[in-house]
Amino acid sequence: MNESIVAVEGLWKQFGEVNAVEDLSFSVERGQVCGLLGPNGAGKTTTLRVLMGLERPSRGSAHLFGERVVPSSRLLVRVGAMVEQAAFVPHLSGHTNLRLWWEAGGTSMKDADVDGALAIAGLGDALHRKVRTYSQGMKQRLGFARLLLGRPELLVLDEPTNGLDPGEIREIRELILRLAQQGATVLLSSHHLSEVEQTCSEVFVMNRGRLVAAGTVSQLIGSAGSVYVEVDDRERARSVLAGLAGVHAVATQGDGLVVDLDNGRRSDLAAAIVGAGLRLETIMPTQQLEDAFLHLLEGPADGAGPAAEAKTPPQP
Amino acid sequence: MIALLFTEFTKAARRTRTLIITVMLVGLPTLILFAIHARADRPADNPNGEGLFRLASQSGLLVPAPVLSVMSGFLLVVIAGTIAADSVAGDAAWGNLRYLLLRPVPRGRLLVAKAVVAGVLIWACTVLVSAAALVGGLLLFGAHPVTFPGVARFAGGFHLDEGALLLRNAVATAYVAFGYTALLALGTLFSTLTDTATSAIGATVGVYVVSQILDGIGQLGQIRYAFPTHYLSAWRAMFVENRYPTDMLVGLAVQVAYLIVFGAAAIVWFQRKDIRS
Repeated sequence: MNESIVAVEGLWKQFGEVNAVEDLSFSVERGQVCGLLGPNGAGKTTTLRVLMGLERPSRGSAHLFGERVVPSSRLLVRVGAMVEQAAFVPHLSGHTNLRLWWEAGGTSMKDADVDGALAIAGLGDALHRKVRTYSQGMKQRLGFARLLLGRPELLVLDEPTNGLDPGEIREIRELILRLAQQGATVLLSSHHLSEVEQTCSEVFVMNRGRLVAAGTVSQLIGSAGSVYVEVDDRERARSVLAGLAGVHAVATQGDGLVVDLDNGRRSDLAAAIVGAGLRLETIMPTQQLEDAFLHLLEGPADGAGPAAEAKTPPQP
Repeated sequence: MIALLFTEFTKAARRTRTLIITVMLVGLPTLILFAIHARADRPADNPNGEGLFRLASQSGLLVPAPVLSVMSGFLLVVIAGTIAADSVAGDAAWGNLRYLLLRPVPRGRLLVAKAVVAGVLIWACTVLVSAAALVGGLLLFGAHPVTFPGVARFAGGFHLDEGALLLRNAVATAYVAFGYTALLALGTLFSTLTDTATSAIGATVGVYVVSQILDGIGQLGQIRYAFPTHYLSAWRAMFVENRYPTDMLVGLAVQVAYLIVFGAAAIVWFQRKDIRS
């Protein structure tokens, strides 16, 4: 049976007249790597702040490990979080920052698995330099070391690769995947589509405070979308695919074919092509997450989408 | 709580600002001391008045009193206000406050730890001024009893031996330090209201400056007795009138009242506040 590590139910957060989060509900099961995807101002960071007890919901609730989140909850000891950019006391060294932060919770450094966390930070001697001398990338890595202290079960990462160069972004991505393989549950907020696409198994898409879609990356891209196919004999493949169940239409494009799927799967296409004795060169969705994302943000034209008027939370 | 206190104290003690304040609080009394020494044999500007400054050259044991007198009204107010008002807002300005609150530490306890550390530092600053003046005074003038001339309308002349001078210096230092309790409570409250340390410091020191200005307007009557600065100099009566004035007790009560009211307000506000920095 799946266990919800994170559960958000009917969450609203208002700042004056502005709804930062509107009637948001989602859950994250143990071991999942979930992405909270949305443009700037979508309400991702506010949602994570509520989850961490930094902000109080206007209505609705947030639960961690089955317990309702309250400020300074004891559950936080099981969570490693990076909310927006990593920040530290600038006049203290990286090492002192980690030590004081960990010990402030009344926990001993012996329980923190410091060596493991520091190995991930990879800061070497710089760990004993004042943080004010660090680059943004070094601060982010130190931030990762901090959130890994005590081997948390849940990682909450808000735009974790902001300010990092491509090499560091890849390192962080690999680190997240490695931690997930080791059993950590991850909730990652980002507006970088490729980051979410390459890291997350499940995605929640937010826009203007609302959840506009949820599912796996492939579900969001859409199994009913289009597939681009290249084979050694295009015309024969066309006739094979046109008669296949779940295929709506087949059209020529460049050296290959674009196959519009009703409810068929790419694996069925591949099997049919190979089964017909054709050599399959390429098969890929014509729509990427970016296309799906932009389509979701544009919303339906009936006003029920993201551009709809702001609502007020229901009164108890 | 001990771990929190240690954390907050380490953060405060290792700041460059703390070193600068320390140098200032030792350096300025030293300068005042040399000024006292330079003017010791000159005739009084006002032959009818023998202020603490003029008497200070009689004994190093008396030097802390005039030094505290000139430094407690503004410089120590600014320093104490800075320490108190920066306690939460400083972390917020660094963006570190949200990370502190990601530890399972009750917000009220964190705020109390910050206020306690700020209070200890304010006391340390006041004691440092007094100690620097005392040590410098003893080196320059030695330890002698002091004969105070009579002050018209108040008291006749009196004599204080070395022990009495030391005791009264200690009481004066403690009273001045405790006199910043209201400032500590106000500064802590303002510190929770803003994420900008300079705004919190400005508001805190501003309240004290306004209080001092309004306190000088006699027409305001008894309302002035509730101002946090009204009884700040009550301790001077120990050296001018040879008595422990009841005003000092009233002054302590006023400070405690400010601590209760504004300290509680700070805790309530901080516990309910949305942390966005």
